[in-house]
Amino acid sequence: MSSTNEVIFNEVSSLFEKVSFEKISDRKYAVSIEKRQVVSFLETLKRKGFSHMSLITCIDWIEEKEFEIVYTLFNWNTGTTLMVKTRTSREKPVVPTIMEIWPTAKFYERDIHEFFGVKFEGNPDLKPLILESWEEIPPMRKDFDPEKYSKEHFPDRAYEVDFLVKGSENDE
Amino acid sequence: MSKEVKLFLGPNHPGMHGNSSVHLYVEGDTVVKSRLVPGFLHRGFEKLMERRTWMQNLALIPRICVPEPDINEMVYAMAIETLTGIEVPEKAHWIRMIILELARIAAHLMAMGGIGGATGLYTMPYWVMPDRDRILDIFEKITGARIYHMYIIPGGVRKDLPQGIEKDILEVLDYIESRSDEYENLLLKHRVIRTRTKGLGVLTREEALEMGVTGVGLRATGLPYDIRKVDPYARYDKVEFEVPTATEGDGYARFTLKYLELQQSIRIIRQCIDMMPKEGPVNVRFSRGSALRFRVPAGSVYAHVESSRGEYGYFVVSDGGEKPYRIHVRGASYPQGLYGVENKLPGTRIEDVALWLGTMDFCSPEIDR
Repeated sequence: MSSTNEVIFNEVSSLFEKVSFEKISDRKYAVSIEKRQVVSFLETLKRKGFSHMSLITCIDWIEEKEFEIVYTLFNWNTGTTLMVKTRTSREKPVVPTIMEIWPTAKFYERDIHEFFGVKFEGNPDLKPLILESWEEIPPMRKDFDPEKYSKEHFPDRAYEVDFLVKGSENDE
Repeated sequence: MSKEVKLFLGPNHPGMHGNSSVHLYVEGDTVVKSRLVPGFLHRGFEKLMERRTWMQNLALIPRICVPEPDINEMVYAMAIETLTGIEVPEKAHWIRMIILELARIAAHLMAMGGIGGATGLYTMPYWVMPDRDRILDIFEKITGARIYHMYIIPGGVRKDLPQGIEKDILEVLDYIESRSDEYENLLLKHRVIRTRTKGLGVLTREEALEMGVTGVGLRATGLPYDIRKVDPYARYDKVEFEVPTATEGDGYARFTLKYLELQQSIRIIRQCIDMMPKEGPVNVRFSRGSALRFRVPAGSVYAHVESSRGEYGYFVVSDGGEKPYRIHVRGASYPQGLYGVENKLPGTRIEDVALWLGTMDFCSPEIDR
């Protein structure tokens, strides 16, 4: 019943244009796909055996002015990890949601929206989840400087170095 | 006519697992709507990791997960080893397995105590915590630290096992094994626990797969899916162990599996001690010059292990620099903690919510990070 990786990858490659699976190490592969095809691509992979979605993550490639969304899938039958990567522009980051395929994606997408500002089209609930009263740019973006933020928002505390107990034998 | 009342479980609540809050809307005693409100524990680990060198992060990563910190070190080391192509010495693999399995026993014991506490059976936490302490003693002898070991490093382990530690480990294993019957009598055969957990929080196989639940949550639905077997790391393909499964998919099944996995971990450690090479290096020198200026070749990789709560992974991206470009922590309880609380918790009675979270292995630092 369970197909080997080559069979799955060949079948998927024949359905989509310009898709090439790259081997990273044993049982770890990566593939890039265009944003408009990502939903049908993931749906196909899920049907072919990559049924477990481990996580969705985002990388801020600030010099290339792009966000990279990575869907990490796992195949329980062959023990293979597959990273599906897609890119979106940094100015107007919009990616379609994959909630229809994996319902848990709702929260991963909400997380990425909060920390990177990527909008997931079709996800009804992108309210902030973890941060409270956040008014800066999304904090995981590379142009957010946490040091500057903490300097602006929190006062420097003056510490008095006073470790020695007064009147003890340490006093000369 | 019933009235809906809003209740808060946590962030400070004896039945709450870590600093998170569950907002419950209840009618009578039954939860009709619930959602998780995380954020109380957010420490920005992922951002912090981007601002430190690869080696400095070693002191930071174990602190993400309190009950089982070693898995963090392991996935971090695994990811770096994949990117750099470092071959770990044979002996280090076996030492890593001993550490990971000891940590699994400690985490399972603590979880069993937590479930005992949530049902009002306080004997259980009083029993397991001292027993877990014996494992921490072993950790102290091996690594110098009790909770956060910083022992598994990229390229192996920090130092070799101390002389004669095998005897100490076997003694602790024998002791825990001798306690097994008592645990079983107190927990698995206890009438209160059986009544409270049987039929609680049933997840069918389809639901578990759909949600992405891993670990005992998935294995309680009859699937023998364990990353140690499916995608073996270290030397898990060389040792013999079974993956216990159940078919009921309820709280009691998940809980029983924890107890059974404890036995398997003991079995694995015994084999490790037998099969481990007695001589040889335990780490490789991965950089010329200062370890702090160590660079990882550009690339991205996802490394994962089977933790006591399920799949635990790091997504690591390097741009070839001295610091990680991006690290994403995949907590084992992320699916059940957020999606599960919102969709599967309603229908439970208020007094069972803490128990539901306990048997689902909810752990808030994995969500807040």
